[in-house]
Amino acid sequence: MADKLKTVIVEDEELARNLLKSFLKSIDKVEIIGECENGFEGVKVINELKPDLVFLDIQMPKITGFEMLELLEHKPNIIFATAYDQYALKAFEYNAADYLLKPYSKDRLTEAVDKVVERIQKEGVSSDVADKVSDFPKEEYLDRIVVKDRHKIHISPVDQVRYIESMDDYVMIYTTEGRYMKQKTMKYFEAALNPNDFIRIHRSYIVKVDEINEIQQYEKESYIVILHDKTKLKVSKTGYKNLKEVLNF
Amino acid sequence: MDFRHPFITNPRIAIYYGLFWGVAAVANILVLTISNNFNAVEAIVQVCAFMLSFAVIGAAIWYVIKFSTLENNSFWRVVFAHAIAASIIIFIWMYFGVVTIKLFHPDPVGWFEQNRMANGIFTGYAMYTIYVVFFYAINYYNGFKEKLRSEGKLKALVKEAELHALKSQINPHFLFNSLNSISSLTMTDPEKAQEMVINLSQLMRYSLKHDQNEKVSFKQELENNKLYLHIEKVRFGKKLNPSFEIDEKSFKAEIPNMILQPLYENAIKYGVYEATDPVDVKTVSTMTEKGLEVIISNTYDPNVLSKKGEGIGLRNIRERLQIIYGNQGLLKISDNKKEFVVTLTIPQK
Repeated sequence: MADKLKTVIVEDEELARNLLKSFLKSIDKVEIIGECENGFEGVKVINELKPDLVFLDIQMPKITGFEMLELLEHKPNIIFATAYDQYALKAFEYNAADYLLKPYSKDRLTEAVDKVVERIQKEGVSSDVADKVSDFPKEEYLDRIVVKDRHKIHISPVDQVRYIESMDDYVMIYTTEGRYMKQKTMKYFEAALNPNDFIRIHRSYIVKVDEINEIQQYEKESYIVILHDKTKLKVSKTGYKNLKEVLNF
Repeated sequence: MDFRHPFITNPRIAIYYGLFWGVAAVANILVLTISNNFNAVEAIVQVCAFMLSFAVIGAAIWYVIKFSTLENNSFWRVVFAHAIAASIIIFIWMYFGVVTIKLFHPDPVGWFEQNRMANGIFTGYAMYTIYVVFFYAINYYNGFKEKLRSEGKLKALVKEAELHALKSQINPHFLFNSLNSISSLTMTDPEKAQEMVINLSQLMRYSLKHDQNEKVSFKQELENNKLYLHIEKVRFGKKLNPSFEIDEKSFKAEIPNMILQPLYENAIKYGVYEATDPVDVKTVSTMTEKGLEVIISNTYDPNVLSKKGEGIGLRNIRERLQIIYGNQGLLKISDNKKEFVVTLTIPQK
């Protein structure tokens, strides 16, 4: 590897950024090409500059490090740096190269960078991180969904989500604000949303319990759900069973 | 299960029971002598033989209901058990009555000829039923009291655990993030790093030293929280903008220790963490007739996703106020979508 690792830092605290920069200055495999104070900037800068390596904080204003990763078109190697140890598992589900716990030493940082170098030598220029993004978040249920809508990033609190419809490789998320497309599987949302609030009623639909106004028999063995705004959604056999279980009828 | 007789565990019931039967017996004797023209001895013997003897034997019905409770047995099984027990008790009772009549009644033959036995047996079953109802009522009442007691005990235990959790509540992430800041400062600004280490040590010492239910002066509590804010200020720089309007009269007021810290922590978590612009964290204290009033407010970015419900921090403070002052209304919250305001009232004796 002749070139240096093009590196971007995404970290909201100035002191933490300074520390990381001063550590990295003495590691000559690394060249810092960008610095961001939050995830919004991070998405923009990473997609533009296409770095090999990103140092990423998790707890940041507006959107978290994980949410930022989901919005990337370019997939760099990620080293997380955070004071929280409880995200380590999730980080590796995102195929993180390493997970630095603050405060960390320069040796520990060097080790992390070496891992990335090794990885790149093994797998080619950059590994496809976010492609392997976890389909089964284990930490806790989502409380917001972040969608990239052309040049804007939209954040929907899950309270605003009305229902989700599958569309081939995408899902359409219908919220009280509008509808947004996201490249995720239904399975992902089924696992990521609180099952007390959202029910999978069909291969193509996940619906928020509070949105349901009526459940109607459609044909002999089939049902439809009618939402408060009169939208009708098909219910499958398993879906009906799920409804019965959650709504207790 | 507690099989002890309620007359033994609660002598007052036994006294009322005795009084009731005493009065009933006297009344019965008077009725018999005055309106039924019995002679006094006849009346007394009859009442002693049947009425007062049932008062004694009937007390045993308690054990029947204790051994055949509706919770553990089917309804018909309980009825069956009572039918047998009633028959046995009534047999013993009648036997005792008849023997007494034979021994003491001035005219036993006449008594038997009047055929009062069938009547007596019927009365016996009716009395048995009344006893069963009475004892079941006592039983349920005792069970209910017992449940309340154990619930109270449980609640106390939960509270203790919660208080314990609260005590060690200086968030470990705060500590690690601060240490990371210090690590950074050691390179760029060693003096500031040193200052921060000292502040952090003082804060930790304060939070470890004081007992959960201990009260400290507001001045002391405030100084401690200033340390906390100072440390966070180093971390967040211009994003955190604390200000204070303290009425000097409030310095001497007493306040439970570490009760303000979670409020500042919340202000930082929901205000500063999520913001990209400066966030004001303002503290105002005054003395009112209700006591010390502390208002902590923070501005926040209304575009940031609203947080779910009320955090554990606020709930714990409410619980603590409830435990210490018996009033959880001392913490008030208001949110006008731009500013989050917490008002804390601490009664002063």
